[in-house]
Amino acid sequence: MNDYSVIGRSIPRPDAWEKVVGGRGYPVNLRLPGMLHGTLLRSPHPHARIAGMDASRALALPGVKALITPADVPRIPYSATFFKPATSAAVVRDMLILDGTVRYAGQPVAAVAATTASIAEHALELIEVQYEELPAVFDPEEAMREGAPEIHAGVRHNVIGRPTYSLGDIEAGFSAADHVFEGVYETQRVHTCYMEPRVCVADADAQGRVTVYASVQHLFGLREKLAFVLGLPVSSVRAVQPPYIGGGFGGKLDLAPIEPLAALLSLRARRPVRIEQSRYEDFITSSRHPAKVYLKTGISRDGQFTARYARTLLDASAYASEAPEVIRVHSRFGLMLGYRCPNAKWEGTLVYTNNMPGGAFRGYGAPQGCFAVESQIDEICEKLGFDPVEFRLKHAPRCGDPHPSNAAWKLDSYGFDECLVRGAERFGWRSRAKAASGRGVKKRGFGMAAQPLWVSGCLGAPDTYEHSGAIVKLNTDGSADLATATIDIGSGQTAVLCQIAAEELGISVEAVRLSGGSTDTLPVDAATHASRTTYASGIAVKAAAAAAKKRLLEVAETMLEASAVDLEVREGMVRVKGASAHAVPVADVVKRAESPFVQITSKGTMQTVLAEKGTIIGTSSLAPPRNPSPASAQFIEVEVDTDTGEVRVLRAVYAHDIGRVVNLAGAEGQVEGGLQQGIGYALMENMRFEPETGACVTADFLNYKMPTAVEMPRSIESIFVETDEPSGPFGAKGLAEPCLIVPAPAIANAIYNAVGVRVRSLPITPEKILAGLGKI
Amino acid sequence: MSLRQLKEFCIPGDWAEVDAQLGRYGARAFVLAGGSFVHGLDARGLLHEVEALIDIRNLGLDYIRAESGGLRIGATTTFAHLQAAPTLGESPWLGALADALACPPRQIRNVATVGGSVAASCPYFDPPTALMALDARVAVVAGGARREFPLGELFAGTFENSLRRGEIIVELFLPRPTGRSASAFLKLEGNANDLAIVNCAASLEIDAQGRCSEARIALGGGVGDAIARATSAERLLQGRVADDEVLWSAAEAVGEDIDPHTDHRASAAYRLAVAKVLTRRALTCALARSARTPT
Repeated sequence: MNDYSVIGRSIPRPDAWEKVVGGRGYPVNLRLPGMLHGTLLRSPHPHARIAGMDASRALALPGVKALITPADVPRIPYSATFFKPATSAAVVRDMLILDGTVRYAGQPVAAVAATTASIAEHALELIEVQYEELPAVFDPEEAMREGAPEIHAGVRHNVIGRPTYSLGDIEAGFSAADHVFEGVYETQRVHTCYMEPRVCVADADAQGRVTVYASVQHLFGLREKLAFVLGLPVSSVRAVQPPYIGGGFGGKLDLAPIEPLAALLSLRARRPVRIEQSRYEDFITSSRHPAKVYLKTGISRDGQFTARYARTLLDASAYASEAPEVIRVHSRFGLMLGYRCPNAKWEGTLVYTNNMPGGAFRGYGAPQGCFAVESQIDEICEKLGFDPVEFRLKHAPRCGDPHPSNAAWKLDSYGFDECLVRGAERFGWRSRAKAASGRGVKKRGFGMAAQPLWVSGCLGAPDTYEHSGAIVKLNTDGSADLATATIDIGSGQTAVLCQIAAEELGISVEAVRLSGGSTDTLPVDAATHASRTTYASGIAVKAAAAAAKKRLLEVAETMLEASAVDLEVREGMVRVKGASAHAVPVADVVKRAESPFVQITSKGTMQTVLAEKGTIIGTSSLAPPRNPSPASAQFIEVEVDTDTGEVRVLRAVYAHDIGRVVNLAGAEGQVEGGLQQGIGYALMENMRFEPETGACVTADFLNYKMPTAVEMPRSIESIFVETDEPSGPFGAKGLAEPCLIVPAPAIANAIYNAVGVRVRSLPITPEKILAGLGKI
Repeated sequence: MSLRQLKEFCIPGDWAEVDAQLGRYGARAFVLAGGSFVHGLDARGLLHEVEALIDIRNLGLDYIRAESGGLRIGATTTFAHLQAAPTLGESPWLGALADALACPPRQIRNVATVGGSVAASCPYFDPPTALMALDARVAVVAGGARREFPLGELFAGTFENSLRRGEIIVELFLPRPTGRSASAFLKLEGNANDLAIVNCAASLEIDAQGRCSEARIALGGGVGDAIARATSAERLLQGRVADDEVLWSAAEAVGEDIDPHTDHRASAAYRLAVAKVLTRRALTCALARSARTPT
């Protein structure tokens, strides 16, 4: 336990009840008077030029109020990524709101707004499009070959970029190796499967100013990107903060076509326009990029890395979007920085294909790398007889080391070794049963994997927004309103930020309420992504609360006849330090600040002075000083049916260093949700496409399989290694992503342990296991 | 694009109203017995012409009658209702049906009906495979006239049944085996909300000498256009003592009775391998259950 009154407690989520009864705060539930319904016409072809389009019959349909074709959109190329500046040289601006060239099956080609959704859908059928079909390519290796279709004009061999990373002398490192391990590790395309569809309502006023309500992860990113693609100044777009959205996981971290199209339709119709994506549309809007990683590792006789080389081919898909940043994070945090090795080299290739867009997804490039690294470490340990826990301990960075991605920082709080040790102990790693234990056809196996290094935000990432702001305002009833532009994407950001404000203010968490706002009224904030909110937004909230508290204590000076520096707030009372009897409620101090100069009370007149007057409010807008690393280790037990190849995950033990835990129940929930997505990535989730047309055949939950409660292990244990991060709010760091990064290799290693089959491509389907066993 | 032509959703209280609606809409009427797969059929473009949905839940077809000759199940009996019937838990010969009814998620079990699940002619469903192994007969009514036929004759192909215009399934009848009998059902699925990748039901009748006097094996999932009876495997069991060797050879023979296909969920080779495994396991389970059955 700690000395805090609110931090570290499991608190109920303030939005839980409302969500259970329907969640009227979800953007999908928003309706405005006079609102029109928009729908998008999508291309059936994966690669085509639009030779002609006749929308006259659609426009003539009664109830149709506006229609947008490629000829009607500003020709402003953009990158959909929310969290990088629109004009950054680090982004590839290869998209138009509607393009005359289609580059993936399902790409929007027109949009209609009508008085009802069914009229709008009917109107789509009346639009005649002449497509001039072009040859399409879906395999990134084929896309690089001479003579492959050119997907974006002037991009030779469809290669967007070939980023590299190197350290030391790779050749010398391999020369010094006693053993060399090589393997190719492939990961598939998966979708985030957030619950609330992408939806937006755009409402243009008579002056051409657009107000937008959307289910996205970045309020200011939405404002900036929407203004940019519409050719408007940012102040002409007002993005309104929803109280929460129904999941994101990275899938709502880019501008989707629906937002600018709704805005254009609204600007035409002068009425609010709502567009809600169907599940099929959600599936083809964003995904985790498939990758093929070649990994080669040199090891000395005594088990030291001498050289690590990797090559990554990333299917950047039809539009580059997040891919350049995904592959950068992948190379550093997925592949190269987690373990110490003097010689390292990585070569990446980003390739356009006619596949549906990639994007951001919890883990952001790291799962593709972690699967390779952690699988291969298991292969090394097995072959050379090292214990997987000891081997990782030997190569992991230590607390106090320079930060591997930025030597200007140190790993001030870093408990990866403790994650390994305590996780192994809880799991019973040393006393685990022998490989392939179990009677009959079902075999047990044990495996582990780790993510030694991760982020608490984006500080240090090139050209990426990383600052937050908050406003804390105290009310005369002793409560506080907290305003930040942070979006709660379902993982409990609201609860955590309220806890941080409450702890700093010395009031109960129930007395803090997250109030809403818009880009007009809120300080700028980075996106809800990169495991950053608790740490980076938390620092801003703490600073705003501290500023409000400072003012509170100043006002309390005359009431308590003491200097502000001698005052403190605890349990809603302002008191003189060390003299608990001498105290006044926070509410009374706020009332005094808000009161008239002369108050007539039953006890006579009471006077306040100028210096006490005014709303007690604190604001902040600042960047976090560091980017401290969380760490994670996971231990898994599986059972494999050697006749059918089915895998059951029986038990998971996680150990996370996330600094100080803020909301214990929330943190455990994050970990369990990450495991669910991790099991899906490891065993079943896979977006599949028609080989000829590129049409997605897994765009619903009949065909796209993710784990249900039934597939989850009955035992999930979370250990939190509570290091105390000096730069973090009350010692906290990030959590969100490693819990999804590590399960795939941990499960792959456990399956190998169970049945001796090493599967190097995800998902590890029953079929691959049976094939590995030689049974099919 | 769902049910774009839909004009009417009706829940008739008597047969006269059913006939009137069927008369009015003809081929553009679609009979609902539960409705849990309407979205699935619609997503496959099979309901684009439908103008009327006729829900038959109020026609008194929700019943379970255990008779000496067997079990009568009204067409609109939900999976959940049937699951709760004491006879299902007490009768090893109905084991396959109990197993299959436990597969769909609870939300489906509360809505889906026995009649609806067979009428859909979806080879990926679970209860129909069990019903096939239980030698179910289907009773249908049209304009007051009733006829009965074996369930296998209902399935004309995937999502295609052999019902004539205006015919509605009213009942399923499961004949009670005369001797010591038990059955079992198994399913391979991607997750707990999945349609079968392969499923298998086996029903055995064992005579006084311990021989199989009757064996019925049915397989579903992607092993053919309709649920398949594994007659080659059944023949190998007929009249023999079902020891390990016989069970293995019967399971191997399943390959001659099914025509697995490859799709994004599994390859034909995998389906074939698993069909054999499930057959062997279902037979083993049925046999074990029969051993616990008094003659």
